[in-house]
Amino acid sequence: MSSSNGKDAKNWVGQALPRKEENRLLRGRGRFSDDIKLREMLYLRFVRSPYAHAKIVGVDTSTAEKLSGVACALTGAEIVSQTQPFIEIGPDPFARIKDYPLAAAKVRYQGEPVAAVVAESAALADDAAELVQVEYEALDPVIDAEEALENQSLLHDEAGTNLVWNGVFEYGDVAKAFKEAAHVVTIDRMHFHRFSSTPLENNVVIARWDPKDERIYYQCNNSFPSFAIQFLAAHLQVHIDRIRVETSDIGGSFGIKITSYPQMAVCALASKKAGGRPVKWVETRSEHLTSSAHGNERIFRETRVALDKNGVITAITSRHIDDCGAYPRYEPLGCVIWSQVFPGVYRFKNARIDFSQAVTNKCPVGPNRGYSRMQHLWFLERIVDVCAHKLGIAPDEMRLRNYVRPEEFPYTTPNGCIYDSGNYPRMLQLAKQKIGWDDWKKKQATARKEGRLIGIGIGTTLDSGTNNFGQSQIVNPGLPYSGNSQGANCKLDIYGEVVVAVGSCPQGQGHETTAAQVVADVLNIHPDMVTVRTGFDTERNVHTGFSGTYASQFAVSGLSAVHGAAQKLKAEMKRLGAFVLETKEADVEFGTGAQGPELIAKSSGKSINYWGLANIVNANSASLPEELYELTLNCRYIWRAPFKVPDKQKKYGNLTMTYASQLHIAVIEVERDTFIPRILDYAAIDDCGTVINPPIVEGQVYGATAHGIGAALMENCVYDAVGNMLTSTFSDYTPITAMNMPHVKYGHISTPSPHSYSGAKGMGEGGAAPVHTISAALQDALFDEGVFIDDSFNNADSLFRALVGKEISQMEKLVKVEKR
Amino acid sequence: MAIKLDGEFEVKRKPEDVYDFLTDPNKFAPLLPDFQSISVQDATHFAVRVNVGISYIKGTADVKMELAQADRPRRAQYKGQGSVAGGNVSFTARFDLSAVNGGTKVAWQGEAQIFGRLASVAGGLLEPLGKKNVQKLIGGLQAALS
Repeated sequence: MSSSNGKDAKNWVGQALPRKEENRLLRGRGRFSDDIKLREMLYLRFVRSPYAHAKIVGVDTSTAEKLSGVACALTGAEIVSQTQPFIEIGPDPFARIKDYPLAAAKVRYQGEPVAAVVAESAALADDAAELVQVEYEALDPVIDAEEALENQSLLHDEAGTNLVWNGVFEYGDVAKAFKEAAHVVTIDRMHFHRFSSTPLENNVVIARWDPKDERIYYQCNNSFPSFAIQFLAAHLQVHIDRIRVETSDIGGSFGIKITSYPQMAVCALASKKAGGRPVKWVETRSEHLTSSAHGNERIFRETRVALDKNGVITAITSRHIDDCGAYPRYEPLGCVIWSQVFPGVYRFKNARIDFSQAVTNKCPVGPNRGYSRMQHLWFLERIVDVCAHKLGIAPDEMRLRNYVRPEEFPYTTPNGCIYDSGNYPRMLQLAKQKIGWDDWKKKQATARKEGRLIGIGIGTTLDSGTNNFGQSQIVNPGLPYSGNSQGANCKLDIYGEVVVAVGSCPQGQGHETTAAQVVADVLNIHPDMVTVRTGFDTERNVHTGFSGTYASQFAVSGLSAVHGAAQKLKAEMKRLGAFVLETKEADVEFGTGAQGPELIAKSSGKSINYWGLANIVNANSASLPEELYELTLNCRYIWRAPFKVPDKQKKYGNLTMTYASQLHIAVIEVERDTFIPRILDYAAIDDCGTVINPPIVEGQVYGATAHGIGAALMENCVYDAVGNMLTSTFSDYTPITAMNMPHVKYGHISTPSPHSYSGAKGMGEGGAAPVHTISAALQDALFDEGVFIDDSFNNADSLFRALVGKEISQMEKLVKVEKR
Repeated sequence: MAIKLDGEFEVKRKPEDVYDFLTDPNKFAPLLPDFQSISVQDATHFAVRVNVGISYIKGTADVKMELAQADRPRRAQYKGQGSVAGGNVSFTARFDLSAVNGGTKVAWQGEAQIFGRLASVAGGLLEPLGKKNVQKLIGGLQAALS
């Protein structure tokens, strides 16, 4: 019998296996895009607009082009003459706008590229870019989304409006619920602020437009390349098959590297102009902060909440205005993606949300971690929290009264989404236990007597994973996207090595490790015997139109594809093994023997190792009988999610496959003298169903928690009245660091998903739980001071203005309660 | 980002003399802080080059100036636009003159809009620096007109 591989069969999934990637990455042996040096490489630098909104009167690149070592320069006018505008996802009238990667007629945000200079060195390109003269005529900028909807100053004249999209999402009987309500709470305005992500590695593009075969080769760190190439092919007017995109190690993306295709286009056109020499662009940190992509900013207006006499929410109405910056690009998908979590973790059935999105003279948004859903989940958590405080119900009790109950799963939301599994009360119980709820309540009571401002806040949230792209048809019925899929290839190569290729582009999520765990379980071998080739490559890896790494989906879509491919390979190996071992397939077992992984006939004890098996197919095929000619030991599998196209009129349907959940509790003190909010204690509970690799999950929870704490207390994209971004360096943007992180008391529960083969749910975005949690804790601390936490960003300055200046966030003005 | 400053001072010279001084680019421009050179195009248009140094941002700024309002001896108003360190600055500077005690009261208003990298990176420093430079300019004017 085969010797054991050290574990029982089918149990590598769930093991705390060290990440296979660490050996490479922690030794500095990773291969990132900026590590790539090519012969005759040129370097590109963008010339960017200082204005948020201005007409371009003229661009003069002649002085720059005369500088020794400058290969060429590109202007917007040149690009307009050679290309088509980028395709627009939204419907008319916004489909009419002309979005080019370099501005030609006018600029629409500070930092928008207006020209590019290509030179022999990066330093030379920097110097040459300074010599480009651009003459502008300033226009009135529009910085606020509500103001933008007044259309006083239009960003895109072709559209004739600043309104990108509007739709009403209405379910249940809202009027009846309000008529029967025991309490109605009205909230005038809330605001979810604009922030971004700060990956260690900024955007990098290397492009080569080969004049010999008219093909474009990209090496870059775009995190959704199959999306990018669709935009690039149409824009550059080349067949999509003539674009090769290859990604290697990526130093973080958090979604915002999805929209780097405009820069990719410019690099390709620059290479073409430079005679096919490769052109590299490495984004600076300030460029990244001002001009790559930000998260969506959102205003919530005229919110009304109906509650019964027990504080159970029965209906919500509200008007939401989303700010997508100067160009929609990935938008208006965010106008529907929030509805994946329409009721959050709560049971209310009646709701009406009037959702609009506007362009403003700010950096375009991108699908930043927790994209579009975190804004909505924060909105719901603020509602639940302020209703609890106003009605005198303890915030934990308020949540228990409103949560979807464990016995209700799978739970269908008012808009047709199916929450696969969950147990929010158990998470709350565990979080309270981790943080020491009762002790903190006592300490809080004592501290309050001393005049200290201590608050305890709960944030419950969802991380919806694996999108149904059919939801895009809700924003534009003409779009040709629906469902979701992922491809993987699993093969036994000529010397018997198990090699897996998958079309994801991991940025720290441990795909090499988790994919190896899945395949190891299928073949009953050690994960170290599985080589996983990650990184997107249109020529090498299997991919579909949805391939990439985004939207908390790899554990479901990626690993389902890997599992499917491994199962196909196993079936072929078994069939071949039965022939070689002269037995029936049912008699063949998989294991590891003295000569490595092998197949063994239980009845006879005869075995053949993987090399022997692969050799028959690949190098010794004359011994193969004709009926086995179809075996390749090279198996491709495309996993498809069982989605249907949603009802576009009713905006109804299942939009996501899995719903991981997070419940965080924070204890915060606002210092009386400095108004600095300090986290005193923090607990984070996660439920992502079956855990593939516990340390990887825990690491992602810590990452998402850091991201959320940074967003809540430190990171804010601030613009002045004329559209200057005032937080364009780390000195001003102040991204969170390890020094700012509290000790996180981590815990998890597991409610396996019935929707995925393994019970795993996608995770990693974290649902922005800390943003909701910190707002709730600050609310608890400041409720008695008459402060309403109406903004997702709070720092010493804003808290001073609320507490002392009484200028902002006044409960009395913003929140009304009608008791019937 | 907008910076608005205003103030007034008195000098012993007549309004006509003060006006003539203020509207003569060759006399007025050298009083600008960190002035390097001037190039006069016509009676109402000239360009000045000044040194700029704000923390680590150092360089020169070429500023196009226009005498936009000339109402001798009551008012002179300049409009200017320049570019520096990846940013643009546009401004107006207005001088209202009135006769007082045998001399002239000069009421001045300055408003600058700053766009781009300068405002983004050094926004917090610009207002105090602007005040300092305007004080230098006004001090220079007072000294020159004394």
